[in-house]
Amino acid sequence: MGRLMISLGSIYLVWKRYAYVYRKNMAFAVITTFVEPFLYLASFGFGLGSVIGIIDVGGIQVSYRAFVLAGIVGQTILFQSFFEAAYGSFVRMYYQKIFQAIAVTPVTIEEVLWGEIIWDASRSSTSAVAVMLIGVAIGDFSILGVLCAIPICFLFGMIFASLGLLVSAKSQSIDSISYPQYLFIIPMFLFSGVFFPLTNLPNLIHKIIFILPLTSVLSVLRTLVLGFTFEWWAPIIISGWGILLIPLARKAMIKRLVA
Amino acid sequence: MSSLSVIDLYKNYSRKNRPVVEAVRGISFDIKPGECFGLLGPNGAGKSTTMKCVTGFYHPSKGSIKVLGLDIAANLRDARMKLGVCHQDDTLDTDFAMLDQLLQFASFFRIDKKEALLRSEKLLKRFDLLERKKDLVESLSGGLRRRLQVARSLINNPELLVLDEPTTGLDPESRRSLWEILCEERKKGMAILLSTHYMDEAQRLCDRVAIIYKGKIVACDNPQKLISDVTNDKMIKEEIRPGITIERPSNLEDVYLLLTGVSLAADLSEGA
Repeated sequence: MGRLMISLGSIYLVWKRYAYVYRKNMAFAVITTFVEPFLYLASFGFGLGSVIGIIDVGGIQVSYRAFVLAGIVGQTILFQSFFEAAYGSFVRMYYQKIFQAIAVTPVTIEEVLWGEIIWDASRSSTSAVAVMLIGVAIGDFSILGVLCAIPICFLFGMIFASLGLLVSAKSQSIDSISYPQYLFIIPMFLFSGVFFPLTNLPNLIHKIIFILPLTSVLSVLRTLVLGFTFEWWAPIIISGWGILLIPLARKAMIKRLVA
Repeated sequence: MSSLSVIDLYKNYSRKNRPVVEAVRGISFDIKPGECFGLLGPNGAGKSTTMKCVTGFYHPSKGSIKVLGLDIAANLRDARMKLGVCHQDDTLDTDFAMLDQLLQFASFFRIDKKEALLRSEKLLKRFDLLERKKDLVESLSGGLRRRLQVARSLINNPELLVLDEPTTGLDPESRRSLWEILCEERKKGMAILLSTHYMDEAQRLCDRVAIIYKGKIVACDNPQKLISDVTNDKMIKEEIRPGITIERPSNLEDVYLLLTGVSLAADLSEGA
């Protein structure tokens, strides 16, 4: 069974199931997908940004609004992928038992989990694109950079969705998802450079933050949409997280579901 | 060719820092087309584990399973095309309305939309659910949900139907209606692997039953033959209410209780 080839058609069928539910609950979906990033954008980008004005990031002069807008793109991918995968998949696996129901049809459990990860990434990258389009509209982001960033946002979404799936697989109850949420996800969101440049942080803290996936995601995004200096370590670190998390999450969920 | 052939099936659960649990210990049986085969046993005896192995959801620790001649380990997808499964738990997708639920599952079997719609409406009609086809699953009562779940398991016209406690929560009328549907399907050649706690259901539906106890089949035969062999067709005296005793013919429940009771438990543990 382990040697069974993954069928892209089957993964698409699972993805379609999510898309159908999303379309059906469009009003709720739009609010949960777009409102949060726009609130951050309005508050930090336009609000705080108008007070701070121009900042210096490693010798590059950039408006705080543009800086934080790129950060919100990363935050959107993180939150929407992680929370949908962690809480959503826990509900689907534990309460609704949808994974179990689909995985006795010709669609295998591997394909169900790929469908889950790809859907979560699709949803989060859609929101990220919406935020980036605002960046283009207000003249903060380059169109070419945004076009290049779209597939990369999707890959980042897959990595954070895998993190969420891993948390879901390891959680005994839905409440216990709060531990990694408050001990890892929220601190990462606050300290990985969404709201401020990391250059002025103490060396030790900088080194810790350096290895967090969101730090690398933000570095890549700012290189693409704001023209920041390319940091070679960023794609290496985020690829490392992807190589680690995607198989680990699937393995953990399969272990939980299939004894 | 058998609809299902289970040969020397073992399934162990191993968890970190916990002793290995031998849930199924060398079970073998086969089911012919059109036959209904029942698995009876107390909770934790290994019935659901056996069924999950049959559906390919669990990987057996040892042994082989063939569905319509296809080894489930080597031909998972092809075998599942011929398999219908109704879980013990409620596994309905609560984000869907009834009709959409069936259409959704039809897509997993690559049934084209037109055919899927035809089959879904036919099934909803047979299960007396057609009038509420647009109702969300979440709005349904437990009994209606159960009926929908059984209906969903028939969407691919399976040749082997795996039913894990299908009538739990159904009222007597719905239960009888489900039995009739199953009877009709069997006439067309569909085989059924049924797990149930209702002995009257097993006695009525099953051509053969296997009684599982602690992961092993302790008896397997036609229900009537099992009753004769195990109870010698004795009349049973039973106090049904304080001061009221009746005498009745022995039935499958008596067989079940005798075979999974304390005395046999002692015999098995001595032999193990």
